Parts: sequence; C-alpha cells; structure tokens
Amino acid sequence: MRNLIAIRHLEVDSIQEILDMAASMKKSVESGTAPTTMAKRTVGLLFFENSTRTRVSFEQACSYLNFRSVNFSGSGSSMRKGETLKDTILTLKHERLEAVVMRHSSAGACNLAARYFGGPVVNAGDGCHEHPTQALCDALTILERKKSFKGLKVAIVGDVSHSRVARSDAWLLNKMGAEVRFVGPRTLVPTQTSGLPVTVYYDLRAGLADVDVVVALRLQKERMDEGLVSISEFRRLYQINRATLRAAAPDAIVMHPGPLNRGVEIDDLTADGPATVINDQVSNGIFVRMAALAWVFEESVVSKKAGAKR
Amino acid sequence: MSSVPRKTVLRNGRILDPSQEMDVVGSVVIEDAQIVDMGPDADTSDAMEVYDCSGLWICPGLVDMHTHLREPGEEHRETIKSGTQAAAAGGFTNICCMPNTSPPLDNPVLIDFILDKSSAPDAGGVFVAPVGALTVGQSGKQVSDLAALKRAGIVAASDEGAPVQDSSVMMRAMETCLQLDVPIMVHCDDLSLSAHGAMNDGAVSAMLGLAGIPRSAEEIMVMRNCLLALNTGCRIHILRVSTWGAVEMVRQAKYLGAPVTCEVCPHHFCLTENAVGEFDPNYKTTPPLRTPVDVDIVLQALNDGTIDCIASDHSPYAPHEVDVPFEEAPFGMAGLESAVGATLTYVTHAGILSPLETVRKLSTTPATILRLEAGTLRPGGTPVAQVTVIDPNVEWTFDVHRTFSRGKNSAFHGQSFRGKAVVTFCGSEIYRDPFFNDGRCTLQLA
Repeated sequence: MRNLIAIRHLEVDSIQEILDMAASMKKSVESGTAPTTMAKRTVGLLFFENSTRTRVSFEQACSYLNFRSVNFSGSGSSMRKGETLKDTILTLKHERLEAVVMRHSSAGACNLAARYFGGPVVNAGDGCHEHPTQALCDALTILERKKSFKGLKVAIVGDVSHSRVARSDAWLLNKMGAEVRFVGPRTLVPTQTSGLPVTVYYDLRAGLADVDVVVALRLQKERMDEGLVSISEFRRLYQINRATLRAAAPDAIVMHPGPLNRGVEIDDLTADGPATVINDQVSNGIFVRMAALAWVFEESVVSKKAGAKR
Repeated sequence: MSSVPRKTVLRNGRILDPSQEMDVVGSVVIEDAQIVDMGPDADTSDAMEVYDCSGLWICPGLVDMHTHLREPGEEHRETIKSGTQAAAAGGFTNICCMPNTSPPLDNPVLIDFILDKSSAPDAGGVFVAPVGALTVGQSGKQVSDLAALKRAGIVAASDEGAPVQDSSVMMRAMETCLQLDVPIMVHCDDLSLSAHGAMNDGAVSAMLGLAGIPRSAEEIMVMRNCLLALNTGCRIHILRVSTWGAVEMVRQAKYLGAPVTCEVCPHHFCLTENAVGEFDPNYKTTPPLRTPVDVDIVLQALNDGTIDCIASDHSPYAPHEVDVPFEEAPFGMAGLESAVGATLTYVTHAGILSPLETVRKLSTTPATILRLEAGTLRPGGTPVAQVTVIDPNVEWTFDVHRTFSRGKNSAFHGQSFRGKAVVTFCGSEIYRDPFFNDGRCTLQLA
C-alpha cells in the first residue's frame, strides 16, 4: 500500500509508472475493454471542501475500476458536530474502507489522515499545498501533445501563492525535465521560492517568452476581497489572451485546472480556441485517477496486459 | 519532599551566583530553610546533612518570566499543580504565570486564587508570580484596574497572545503602569499582518503552501512599543524576540535610553523554520520559528547582552488540540522541563555564554527585571533558600512521556541534551531527578 500525498516526495519512476498506467487505462476504456482485473475495493471520497470536477472524476474512476465509492462531505458528516479529523479517519478505517481520497482546506491534512488511516490515502487537494492527481492529469495532457517533458518550458500564471495545482505541477514537470516558471503579481507569488523548483517572473511577456505550455490559474474572488489584487489590473497585466500569447511558442498549448473565470485570467476566445486543451485535462483526469488508485494499492495491473488482450 | 532540618550543606560544588559575580568552588549552608552562609569559606561545621556537589553547579533557583499555567479554565492543558511541578523539575523556583486564562486574570479575586492555589501543599513548591491582564478581558480596549491588581500581587501586566493593537490604548496603559511602577510584558505582533499565518513567511511556507507570518509583524510592534516606552518612560519587557530585525530594534531602543528589556525562548535559538518538516504541529509557535540567520543574530545578542534573559514560554496544550492539521493547531509548546537542557546544549556548551552568564539569563536578570526576591544565593536575599543544582555535563534525552506537565506538545521530544537541573530546593528539596543517581548531591547524614 502507498499514499499519494505530494508530488514533491514522488520519485520520477513512480510518476512515469502512473502516467504509463493512465495512458493504458485510457486506451482500454476508449476501446471498450475492461481496464483492470483488480479486486473490488471500497474507496471513501472525503471532501471537506467543495469540488465538482475532482469528485466526479474520482467517482468515474472508481466505477471504471469496478470499485465502490462511498461519499462523505464536510457539511454532512460528524465533523460538523465537532469531531476531530483524527476521529473521522479512525471511524472510516473501522468502517472497513480500503482507501481514502481526501480534500481538505488545511495544508498537511492528508499527512495526518495517513498517520491514522493505515491504508492508502490519496490527496485530492490539501489547502494551498498540493493536488497531485491534477498535476498528473496535466502531465498526461501535455505528454499527448508534446511527446516528452525534456526541455519543455512551462509558465504557470496567476494566483500562484494560493494554488495547490501550481505547486504540484511545478514539482512534477521539474522532476520530469521541464523548466517551470511562476508568473504573477508580487502579491500572489510567494516572497521566497528557493524551496520550489521554479523561476519567478513578475512580467507576463517575459514569463511567456517561448513557453510551450501555459497554465492559467483561477483568480479566486476571496483574494480580491482581501485586497491582494485589483481585478481590472490583473486582467490588464496577466490575462491569457490572443495578444499575450504571442510571446509564447507558436505551438504553445493553454491549460487551466478549472473552474474558469472567463474574462479574468483567460479570455473567451482563448478558452474556446484551438490551443486550449482544458477538456482533455478533464477527461484525462478520470484515467489518471484510475491509475492513481491502482498505484496506491500497488496493483501494477493492466499496462501491457490490456494491450495484449485486444 | 521532607523539609530540610537544622543545618544542611551543599558541599564542594561550583557556585555560580551572578548577583555577587561569584564563580567559585565552595559550599552553600542552609539552616531552617534559609541560606545562612555560602562561598569557599562557608562555615560547614556541625552539618547534620551533606550533599556532595562535586562537578555540579550550585545556582540560585531559576526564574522563568514566561509560563502559562492555564488555570483557571483550561485545566485540560495544565493546572497550577502540574505546572508548578513541571517548573520544579525544570530547575525553576520562581515562575510568572501569564494572564490569558479563562477568564483572563484581570481582577484581584483571580490573583488571590492563583496565589492561594500555587502555595498549597500539594502544588510544586515553587513561587508563582502572577502577571495581570493589561486590558479588561484582554480585549485591547480598556486598561484594567492595575492598582487593584498590583495590590493583589501582580508583578507585571500583559495581554500576552492578544497584544494591544491600538497605539493610543497602549500609550495610556504605559502611562498608568509608569505611575504604578508595574512593568508591561509585551508580545509584539501586528495582527493585521500575522492574522492568517501559520509559520514564518519564507521558503518553507512557500513550499508547504502555508500562509506566512512576515517578520515585519513582529518588528513593527517591537519598534512601536520601544518608542512608546522611550517616550512615556514606562518599563517594558519584550516577550520572545525571534528575528534579527527585532533584536536590532531593541538594541537601538536601549541605545536611546528606553527602559526596555527582552527575552528569547529556547526554541528560537535551537530551531529554524525547517523543523516544521512535514506539517508537524509541535513546531507551531508564535512568533514562528525563523531562519538560520535569525538564530545566529539571536545567539550573538544573548552574548552581547542585547537579549537580557531566557524564558520558556511554556505553552502546554492537550494532545487532542495539537493532533490536528497544522493550520488548525494552536501556537506554542511546553517548555519548562526542556529549557535548561536546551540552553546548556545550544548556548553554554556552544561557547555563546559562560556558565555564570547562563545562570544570569536564567535567574538573576529575570528576578531583577521583576524585582523578585530571587536570583541570588546571598544569605537573606530570598524569603526561603532557593537553589538549583545543575549537572552541566549529563547527557540525556528529553522525553515528553516523563514530564510533569500535562502539555506533551514539545519541539524537543527525543532530542539529546547535555546538562540538566538535577535537584531543586525551594525552602526544602522540591525535586530530585530520579535518573540522577551516581551518588552525588545525595543526602548524607554527617
């Protein structure tokens, strides 16, 4: 059994293994063959924070794997009655759940869950720390378009400070050989980034120069309420649109982990344009999450087998 | 815990008494719970009991200006009994208890309660000097009735972890305290800057995705409070400085003649932000653990005297309060029983402070700042004999499961230390380390 809590701690081989597995899962699902011969498992989807795509994606992944998923949400659970996270996790352990997929508003919450659950814990987003399965589906999407990570330039643009996707993407892409840039206003980029494998750009044009991949991040309304940024200024200085994309490589692709604020961090034309692979990110999310669940159970299943079956 | 009979001699130890600038091998003589003679030539004749202290330090009982006893209201974290027992085990004979209890210590009845309970026979046997709430309910608005609190027995006033943000309230509080001759202890934190933060704002917080507490949050308030002290003349004591900038502000303020003293806590000179590791809530504290540069400057400032003393900031919490995600965990760590080990290991043995200066920072200076009858071995200098015997070289491992404190939230669990308080006297022997049994400092009938 393994945990998938942070890309930061993942080895390159493991990343590659999950991506390979995801690609082969995708093949078998699209060709209509059973993706796995894994034993039936019961997986808890524990979402203490709102989520649409990640939760649905994990539910779909479970159903393709023939796993049973059990749903919990922060508001409907006994956490509302004052139960600590530790006790919630201990309860789920003794309800005989075999894995927990957890989203929580506090960074590091999955570390605590892993300590008490004793089985696989998959981080579906912990505060502003990491969101490993999102990074893996971004990676699969990039790989489908760019064939290799080696030497790729990737700009992650916008509210980097509060983005768990930015951190997971940065670790993953850097480990796989890409150059990662954080681009955003000083108020939304950490003051010191020596602990992260990135180069920081405060100027969008410089940050986008020659990049092969642009990842636009959602500008959360809460940040504007905190006075960290003015929406009109952000739009003027950091919006991904046809004009600003001219700085990037001609075949650059545009990604967004969603949900989109159209007209803020990305304009309509670009969001729906040919360079954009947002929908691929979403559908790849299912296969990556299938692979992630297989990986944490240490079932190195399919890969070659599914191909052989066909 | 038998009381010391007629004439007891602590013999042949290294006497470290900063109040007399004394660092000699000699004896301390206790009669009827009072120190009656001390020094190389002390009269040890007719001793009924002898403690052989060879190779050990004989120090004035240590004084901790900054502890949280949690009572009343938060007995699940600590009680006056468990906290004073922890103090005795840590080598302290005098501790100040902070007012952020529930309710806060903003009225004389509560001060009476603390004094009564801490002197009860089943308590740890150390003196507790209460710190009163600076403002009513620690709300930062209306200054407490400090005259009444002073009469009840407070030695200082503080709003501790809920520091006064409004500068005009702080100025009025300082004017009041100047008039009453009560020092103010200030935790320096601009809450508008630190509000969402969980650890030092820096490379580690950026990596972990934790909101940072910028160093400016501390430094701005150090500067403001020093300026107000300079301009009003009120004595202030700055609690737990942690950044090099804060140290420089204090240095400047002292240079300008402001009546300012300050302290540092062991975790701020032993540890850096890297200790947070993978979200370990035991390393969450305010001010947060900083960077190696800050630690270097803090150690230098201990050496050059800019930092006046070392205090534990003993902040016990119940296990269930700490075993939560980092961002939800409370700030603070238990410290009474690790303070001496940490200080000797990281400061004294590292050559930052001599043994005499170490004892000064842990005993004589805090006693002087608070005008306590403590911090000295001079006959008649304390209400009863207060002596801490330290084995400076014993190597031991700090284990929270062996502490008296109810708070097991320590940054030092499993840490090896060199140096430990082994026997504590406050009138009589109030603590003896059960693992210290090589025959020294053991009661022998003469």
